[in-house]
Amino acid sequence: MSDTPLTPLEHELAELIINTLELEDVTSNDIDPDDPLFGEGLGLDSIDALELGLALQKHYGIKLDSDAEDNQTHFASLRHLAALVEARREK
Amino acid sequence: MSNKHWSEVKESGSVTGMNIMLGIHRWLGDTGYNTILFFVSVYYWCRNPLARRASRQYQRRLTSAHPDVRLPALATLRHFMAFGIAMRDKVRALHGQIPLNDVQIVDHATLRDAITSGRGGLILVSHLGNHEICQALGTLRPDLKISVLMHTRHAQRFNTLLSRSSGPRPDIIEVSEIGPATAQRLGDRINEGGFVVIAADREPIGLTGRRRALEFMGHPACFPEGAFWLAALLRCPTWFLLCARERSGYKVHFEPLADAGTLKRHERNAWIDQGMQAYADRLEQFCCRYPLEWFNFYPFWAQRTPANEPDATSALQSAESTPPTTRHDP
Repeated sequence: MSDTPLTPLEHELAELIINTLELEDVTSNDIDPDDPLFGEGLGLDSIDALELGLALQKHYGIKLDSDAEDNQTHFASLRHLAALVEARREK
Repeated sequence: MSNKHWSEVKESGSVTGMNIMLGIHRWLGDTGYNTILFFVSVYYWCRNPLARRASRQYQRRLTSAHPDVRLPALATLRHFMAFGIAMRDKVRALHGQIPLNDVQIVDHATLRDAITSGRGGLILVSHLGNHEICQALGTLRPDLKISVLMHTRHAQRFNTLLSRSSGPRPDIIEVSEIGPATAQRLGDRINEGGFVVIAADREPIGLTGRRRALEFMGHPACFPEGAFWLAALLRCPTWFLLCARERSGYKVHFEPLADAGTLKRHERNAWIDQGMQAYADRLEQFCCRYPLEWFNFYPFWAQRTPANEPDATSALQSAESTPPTTRHDP
């Protein structure tokens, strides 16, 4: 259970991550919006990043520009991801 | 210079070198070029024991796994010369100077069906033969939408070469590694029915640290997983493409490899295993047919293995790591 409540968009994204990556034993309530998604936090890996990128494109029409930038900033945490979707969503 | 990698040495002056080669070929023709190439090859053969040993190791493994393969006398020197001829033809192809009559597509029906299916796919090539000749495929089949995934550093060199070219320009997707943005871009091309060419026997582009040891000529060798993961995620077919030199000209082989169209998530790992092994097996079979067209002049079986390599656990880490070396690319 995380201490910080999720915004509706963060909640939606948490569900997207869990469903896309078929994460077992994780609910959106377990994800702290500031925790890292990759490595230590949620423990996603480079394949998950590819899948997440494709899911963001499919659901929100988001086009990522560069791999290095995406990994460093947009995918850092749920909060960062929500900011990306907020700014760049086309659907 | 002597402790440098052979292909690195060749590569260092490659743009000037390639233009000189092209000039020599233009003025002196095949015979003149081959005469000069012979002396250049002897020079490199003497000066580069690492490449010579790699060539010998490859030839030994090939002939011990396939005793029916016959190599000519002075096989490692001829191997070096074959590389020089391939370099010449690579430049000629980029300059649109390979006559289309010299390029024969062996599996034309397969290629036609692949195009008309509208599903697109990933075309996996290798450093066996000369896949640059396949730039000509776009001219032979105008309905084939083809892009080439290339490491940024190679692409820069490639563009310099192309800047003097009059031939048709291939569509190049420049990347430094396969990440989410690349996956999206490739997905777009494939959804439009296009094909993306990726070299799958080395790791200039890959998912950092992701490789598998496969049985190759009776010994385990590491191959990058990247192309197969992309196919699995994009749920598209993969094709094996090879373009090799024969007496009569260039032969293009285009064969189905593995299709991720109906792949389920939990089957991915096994599918990648099978697909990668199928790729390595096809590569090995074609090595038997074109033994001197193998242009991996480095210890191919001595690559880092998954066992001694830390797993790439995070996309963050892989973004921060050093880009893969380009030194193995001729």
